[in-house]
Amino acid sequence: MNIVEINNVCKSYPAFRLNNVSFSLESGKITGFVGRNGAGKTTTIKSMLNLIHIDSGDISYFGLPLAGNEMEIKQRIGYSTGTVSWYPRKTIREIVDVTKSFYRSWDEEAYQKYMKLFSLDDSKKPLELSEGMKVKFNLLLALSHRAEVLILDEPTSGLDPFSRDELLEVFMTLKEHGVTILFSTHITSDLERCADNIVYIRKGEIQASCSKTDFVKQNGQPNETLEEIFLRLEREAKV
Amino acid sequence: MSVLLKKEMRLSASILSYLFIAFGFMAMIPGYPILCGVFFITLGIFHSFQNAREANDIVYSALLPIAKSDVVKGKFLFSAMIELSGFLIMTILTLVRMTVLSDSEVYRKNALMNANPFYLGVALLIFGMFNFIFIGGFFKTAYKFSKPFVIYIVVAFLMVGVAEALHYFPGLKALNAFGFDHIALQLLLLLCGALLYVALTFISYKKACKSFEMIDL
Repeated sequence: MNIVEINNVCKSYPAFRLNNVSFSLESGKITGFVGRNGAGKTTTIKSMLNLIHIDSGDISYFGLPLAGNEMEIKQRIGYSTGTVSWYPRKTIREIVDVTKSFYRSWDEEAYQKYMKLFSLDDSKKPLELSEGMKVKFNLLLALSHRAEVLILDEPTSGLDPFSRDELLEVFMTLKEHGVTILFSTHITSDLERCADNIVYIRKGEIQASCSKTDFVKQNGQPNETLEEIFLRLEREAKV
Repeated sequence: MSVLLKKEMRLSASILSYLFIAFGFMAMIPGYPILCGVFFITLGIFHSFQNAREANDIVYSALLPIAKSDVVKGKFLFSAMIELSGFLIMTILTLVRMTVLSDSEVYRKNALMNANPFYLGVALLIFGMFNFIFIGGFFKTAYKFSKPFVIYIVVAFLMVGVAEALHYFPGLKALNAFGFDHIALQLLLLLCGALLYVALTFISYKKACKSFEMIDL
């Protein structure tokens, strides 16, 4: 069952255009959103969060159009990015204390559980956290309000291989709990590890949106890894 | 509403916003342009906007399950709370100067503006201009605040200058009334200031909601 649907989304900037972007997220699956820097991953994600205004197209979550149901939908989704930190000089406790007032389904038990699981100390400030811990903190906020869909913008960028591995492990655990995850990355080896489905974007256009197995079948050559496939496809597109 | 205010106060406010409320006490300084206290109170609010930008507060707020207009509402509520706290101090001190200190020589010989309802009315007008020029201007982009703040500084100090000078113009001496002299006129001017404050803040809020709805974050 598709829990998120993106249909023919277009957004034009003077030097870039998101062109008829369409894909869907399957419930309880991890979807890797891959493309090189500047391909349109963040623009697509911002469109999905209504942070930018799309020129045309439709986005829906849980069968509800984003337009007109934004508040309801945001109660049920979570967002995390590896590149921005919120309120760097406030303690985690202060941020959580305010944030939880906005969510009707805030689960204190889940919050305590994930605090422990992610080894976070709520007296620390985002400024004092490593990049990996910052992503975990964002995940903590999302999971504590029982987000059913997690949208993660380059959560593994800037992480060392060990932290990346640890985070991918967390994604796998969340998937087992029925959480649907979309994570954008330009590190294709991350997809090898945990993605069920792949959405591949290049120059603002979706090149593929299917299961990882189908993607490899359709685009791969014998013994090619996922990373080698993407590199070859990008090189071929350049010629 | 209280949740929005709680977020502003606990996450994005600068401590200076609270400390600078104390500039309301400038109402007691003789021989000083007491309306400058209003500017310093708004300078404290400006620091919170600066803090909020550094902390990515606007995007964080936009990701919360609230309407975009609530993000704007939070900023206006916080600003109004600080302004009115400062105004409360100024009002109490003005009443002290109008009653127990009405014959005090140090204030009687003051060449500058007297603390009276007209002064409070102008103070509200300056607060209103801050909301109109600065906060309204900020929400055109939700990150650029230097230009609206510089425009506000120029307007605020022009207003302070004009208000300080007005009572020297022929026929306008009543603006600098002591005690309860010319009280009807004084209260009318205060009412005008209050109405302008409400109007400027409301128009700015509506405009800011519209601008913020249009921009891409």
